[in-house]
Amino acid sequence: MAVSFKAMQAANKRKTILLIAMMASLTAFVVYVVGLYFGVASTGLIPLVVFISVGGTWWSYYASDRIVLTMTGARVIDENDAPQLYNIVNEVVIASGMPMPKVAIVEDDAPNAFATGRDPEHAVIAFTTGILRVMDREQLQGVAAHEMAHVANRDTLVSAVAATTAGAIALMSDMVARIMWFGGGDRDRDRNANPIVLIGVVIVVILAPLAAMLLRSAISRNRESLADATGVEFTRNPAGLRRALEQLEQDSTVVRQRSTSVAHVWIESPLDSSFTSKMFATHPPLSERIATLKAIEDGSYDNK
Amino acid sequence: MNTTIAVLVIVALLVVLVITQYNKLIRLNNNVSEAFAQIEVQLRRRSDLIPNLVETVKGYASHEKETFEKVIAARAQATAAQGVHDVAAADGALTQALRGLLAVSEAYPDLKASANFSQLQEELAATENKVAFARQYYNDSVNQLNSTVQAIPGMFFAPLAKVSVREFYEVEDPAARNAPKVQF
Repeated sequence: MAVSFKAMQAANKRKTILLIAMMASLTAFVVYVVGLYFGVASTGLIPLVVFISVGGTWWSYYASDRIVLTMTGARVIDENDAPQLYNIVNEVVIASGMPMPKVAIVEDDAPNAFATGRDPEHAVIAFTTGILRVMDREQLQGVAAHEMAHVANRDTLVSAVAATTAGAIALMSDMVARIMWFGGGDRDRDRNANPIVLIGVVIVVILAPLAAMLLRSAISRNRESLADATGVEFTRNPAGLRRALEQLEQDSTVVRQRSTSVAHVWIESPLDSSFTSKMFATHPPLSERIATLKAIEDGSYDNK
Repeated sequence: MNTTIAVLVIVALLVVLVITQYNKLIRLNNNVSEAFAQIEVQLRRRSDLIPNLVETVKGYASHEKETFEKVIAARAQATAAQGVHDVAAADGALTQALRGLLAVSEAYPDLKASANFSQLQEELAATENKVAFARQYYNDSVNQLNSTVQAIPGMFFAPLAKVSVREFYEVEDPAARNAPKVQF
């Protein structure tokens, strides 16, 4: 077992790198096609687009702790408010060798938890009142380890990068689409009138944002599996997290605030499955995650 | 002329190698010291809990004298211990004595029902977990340091950085190694 979770983490990391590389190539491709369409003269717009999306995402990354806390209504607590929860988080912190994050509670009956913050020094781990009610000590420890793993793996940064590129691609496609429909006048001179290029541009405008969203979801799912593996490395007790996920599987309550923009931060997807197909899901299916943890438990996990 | 440049590049690369290897060894060695300090902090916290725990249990089970004495003796030993090996041995003995005390308290329903005791139980369970995780983190750090010191190229730079293999924290009681799973 000691070796398998290391191998699992390595495989997960390779997969994330591959996905981010695909995202970068997609961006480059979109920039290239847009450039081809406008001719060189108007490509000055592209740095602006990139600047807007990088700037926006940088802010949401830098202030992620405050933004997510406000959006979810989480209340930061101290040791005296919830001694057991504080103890559990502290245990996992010692196992991970990381600094102690802020601990927060969200008033919500649905059992769920999330981690955010731009770096381990500004991390926040939040639990809903629902999860504290239904889970025992061992399960909560597994959940805390999963969230601490997100902090340790810097998943806020990874998802910020994914969101930036997806945002930039969507913005560029949107711009091109608008100019194609409504654009006119003098700027037409720069445009490439080659029909093949034109068809290519239409396809890119329609498909690129979709592809970017798929990649973003894939990266998110991948980071969830990685956090499961890293969490088990911290506690060396896959049963805790496995039992916690089983509990979540049985539970049908969905977090009340089902804003898609913060969906990726929770341990279990807060969105009703009828709204999100598997391809766009930010989380791998619970049954798959449970099966992996079970395999680690009985030592039968082999790295595919 | 070309030879001079080549020599300069090689020398520069060697300097970079020495610096990075030296810094890596120092960093790993400091990690181990820090991890050991964390174990000691958690052991001290556990020691601080014991008088209160013993007093509470005494209130309900005053005649279990032998068990109390064992715990108090083990605590004294743990407080006096120095160095990785002795600290680990005393830690194991105290863990076992505490387990005995908690087993005894199982027989007293009034004690188990008291709010003070359940609070102490949570504190003790948490501290036991913290000690276990601190040990685990320490041993992982030692493992990392030792593998670096014993392998190439680390072994060439270890004497320069005055860093050598460190001792693992081994608890005698085999059950104590699985302490995160123990629920009091």
